[in-house]
Order: sequence, then structure tokens, then C-alpha cells
Amino acid sequence: MKRSVLQQVICHVLLIAGLFIVVLPMLYMVSTSLKPNGALYQFPPKFLPSPDEITLENYAYVLGAGKFYINFLNSVFVSVISVVLAALIASALAFVIARFRFPGRRALFMFIVLTMIIPGLTLIVPQYQLAVKLHLINKLSGLIPFYVAWTIPYSTFMIKGFIDGIPKDLDEAIYMDGGSVFTVFTHVAIPLAKPGIASVSIFNFLTCWEEFPWANTVINDNMKRTMPIAISGFFGRHQFTQWGYVFALSVISLLPVLIIFICCQKFFVSGLTTGSVKG
Amino acid sequence: MKYSGKSKAQVVLLLLPGLLVFAVFTLYPIVKLFVMSFLQWDFSHALEHPFAGLSNYMAVLGDKYFRTAFVNSLVYTAVTVPGQMILGFLVALLLNKVSHLKITYRVLYYLPVITSWVVASLIFRYVFNTEGMLNYVLVNVLHLSSANIHWLDTRWGGMWVAMLLGIWKGIGWNMVVFLAALQTVPQDLYEAADMDGAGAWQRLIHVTLPSIRGTILFALVMLTIGGFNVYTSIEMITGGGPAHQTDVILTWMYYKAFSTGEFGYAAALSFIVTIVLAVLASLQFKLMQQKEV
Repeated sequence: MKRSVLQQVICHVLLIAGLFIVVLPMLYMVSTSLKPNGALYQFPPKFLPSPDEITLENYAYVLGAGKFYINFLNSVFVSVISVVLAALIASALAFVIARFRFPGRRALFMFIVLTMIIPGLTLIVPQYQLAVKLHLINKLSGLIPFYVAWTIPYSTFMIKGFIDGIPKDLDEAIYMDGGSVFTVFTHVAIPLAKPGIASVSIFNFLTCWEEFPWANTVINDNMKRTMPIAISGFFGRHQFTQWGYVFALSVISLLPVLIIFICCQKFFVSGLTTGSVKG
Repeated sequence: MKYSGKSKAQVVLLLLPGLLVFAVFTLYPIVKLFVMSFLQWDFSHALEHPFAGLSNYMAVLGDKYFRTAFVNSLVYTAVTVPGQMILGFLVALLLNKVSHLKITYRVLYYLPVITSWVVASLIFRYVFNTEGMLNYVLVNVLHLSSANIHWLDTRWGGMWVAMLLGIWKGIGWNMVVFLAALQTVPQDLYEAADMDGAGAWQRLIHVTLPSIRGTILFALVMLTIGGFNVYTSIEMITGGGPAHQTDVILTWMYYKAFSTGEFGYAAALSFIVTIVLAVLASLQFKLMQQKEV
């Protein structure tokens, strides 16, 4: 018994030591966002602002005069629509692949797995030309079809796993009662695969919310930028960077993700571990 | 089971949106990429694209900048994948032992994972600034160095900062995945090992690791793909500099496509990367299936 108390203490000490390193950069981000901009280049640099120094001027600027709430709303718009569309399309695909035999089914599934392996960015050149052709350049809504196309392979793969676990008797019962394929989809597949669809959607939201290279390539207009592009726009590689603004906007961009993460803990864990714990 | 005409129509309707999105936004670009890789397609051939045979591929393979970028991607993957797996696994082992505050630890360790690559990169960039916090601590507090270190001005300095970021950001994911795996290890295996007088180390080697090998391989495949996908952190931290010394495959590809306009070169490069990754991933999948038998 004594030994296990000691063991608990050692584990906690090690975990807290590790946490110190993991969380320190995040704390530094928050503390920097609360310092007045003039203090950022002072010497010696301080980890925490002194109590009388603490200010919200960086937040006031990015949300007020800087009008970066527009970029925040842009990100919400693009992410939410992409996530909803991807969930619908991927659920339908997953349902059909899981439940029906049709010519090309295997090829379709292979294609989905393959697109999960290819780095998304390798297609950026032809996708850019496609976006030009379809007049999707420099349009917020132009981001959506590409985000949907990138997120449905993984989503389909995961949701199919959930639908595979639903007993087929449930389908049969609906068909016996004269129900159609649509009825089975909406009354059996979607309700029972909901946890899977939810966890996939959380990940898709994160993906769209933080997507950088594509949005950075196709959006030029300041007012149409999403959050990651707006944040990176503050950062001048060769000139003076206003770190206070950078990190105030960073903290704001993290809030929705943090709220979703804390509220949806169980979906996060189930989404991560499905497929990983087998064998 | 036979399907009626109506059922068939409904199945097609359910498939259609997905197939359409794939066809237009994924399949067409893949085919286009393949075609482009054989054409002379750059600023001097903006309108007409004569057939170029394998010359784009030759140009990529003979390019010393590509070789540097390829080696950088390999090193990045070889360092960050085991780095984050080992650290994440250690955290999971500890978490599996403690009886209090489990969820609090899990949430806090996971914070870097949900932080976007842009934000995380900028934090590291700020910490590793030549006039930044880290140099101040090393030079003025700990006196480990006599002058500020220019982390980002050398190839391996810049690469190390990006690799530290990759490991830091990945620990939480590995922790969650390994913690779930550890909870599936049958308790009686440990009891049997205890009966045989096995120590903690032997239990780890002979019970824990073999029981979770499926998860280890799963993580290995996912993270290897992720390692070759690295783009944003390099772009934000070093921008590939100095003189393309820290470019990885994707930042180099992006530079060739959008800065010098050599679309044919970029397409051939993309195809080479895709093939390398597909081979690597299928090898790892094979390995995974073999081990499971």
C-alpha cells in the first residue's frame, strides 16, 4: 500500500514536470498578448507582464480598429458549411459502401484510402488551375468545395467503420415494413452512426479552421481572409512584427476550438482511437 | 438480396454528390497533375505546353535543392516520429497509473494538438528569436552561451526548431492513442508476469509492447504520412531559408510552382513524392497485417 502511494506521487511529479514544458509556450503566448506593444522589445524580456503593465490594448485593437472580427466570421462561415456538407456527403458514401454491392465499389474504396495517403498539398498546382477555371479564386465560398473534397475521404472511412458495426437486421426490418433505401439511411444509419459522424465533424472543423496553404494561395483580399491567414499577415519575416497583435489574435482563434474540445471530450477520444486499437 | 429499380435509383442518388466532388476536385486534378508532369509548363511556355518527355522528372532528380529538401523531409520524419511516439507513450504510461486528475492532464497535454500550425509556429518563432526569451535565458541567466545564438540562420538550427515544434505538437495525440491501447491490455497478462517475478522493465518489454503493437504500427503509418506533409511550420519559421537550406519537399514544391512558375517541375516533384509515400505506406500496412497474424 505504501509503495503505491509513493508510486502515485512520483507519477504526478513526472506528469507535472512534463506539463510544464508542454504548456509553457502556450502560457507565453497568452502573457505576450497581455503586454503593451512597447514592452515587447524591452530588455531583459520578461515571461510575465508586471501587474500594472497588463493591458487588453492588443485585443481592443484586433477586434476594434483592426476589424479582425471579420476574419473570425469568415472562418466560422467556411468551416461550418464545409463541415456540414462533408458530414452529409461522407455519411451517404459510407452508408452505400458499407451496405451495397455495386460495380466499382472496391475501386472507390481504394481511391478513398489512396487520397488519405497523398499529401493534400501535392495537388495544389492543378487544383489552383481548376479554381481559376471555375472562378473560385479570391472567393470565400470558393474554399468550401476544396475543403469538402479534402475531408470526405477520411470522414467516409471512419463513418463506414461505425456503420459496419450496426446490425443489418435493423435495415431488414425497415425494408420489411416497406421502407426505402432513404428511410434506412435516415432512420438507421445516421442516428446510429451519430457518435462517429460527430467525432469526424469535430476533426473536420479543426482542419478547416486552421487550414493555411490553400487559403493563403487563393485569397488575396484582406477582408476575405480566414483567421490563419490574418494571423500570419501580422508576421513580417524581415520587418518589425507586432507580436502583441499576433498573439491576441491567436488566442481569439483558439477559443472556439478550445470550447469544442472541452465540451466534446468523449467524441475526441472515440474519434482518435477508432481504428487505432485493433489487433 | 435483389434491389428494385427505385432502390437502385436511391443508391445512385446517395452516391452521386460524393462521386461528383471526387471527380471534379480530386480525380481531375490527379490526372491533370500526371499530364502536366510530362509537359514543358513554365513562364516561358505560358500558353503552349509542348511535350517534354521525362525531362521534368530528370530536372527534379538532378536538382541539388530537391535533394536537400528531400533529405530534410526524411530527417524531419525520422526525428519527429519516434520523438513524439516515445514521449507520448511515456505520458500515457504515467497517466495509466495515476488515479486522480486524469482528465485534467489529458486536456492540458492535448492543448498543443488543437493549436493551429500557424499559431504554434509563430510561438516557436518568437521563443527562438535571436533577441528572444530563450537566448536571454541561455546567455544572461544560465550563462551557457556568451552571445545570442542565431537559431534560424543555419540549416540544422532552423530544422531543429521545426522538429522540436513537430514533437511538441504531437505528444498529445500519441498520448491519447496509446492511453486507449494501454487500457485494452488484459490485466491477467500483468498478473501472470508478476507471478513469474517480472520487473517493471520486463513487463513493459514482454507484455505491454507486444500487446499494443497494432497501435504502434497505426501511429507509425499516420505519423510518417504526417511527417512528409510538413509545410506550414517550415514556411512560418524559416521560410525555407537561408538559401533554401531548410526547405522540405512541400515548401520547395510550392516555391517552384508559385514563385518561379515552373508548374511542370512542381507536378513531376509532386508525383515522385506521391509514389514514395504510397510505397512507404503500403509497406507499413503490409508490416502491420503480418504482425497481427
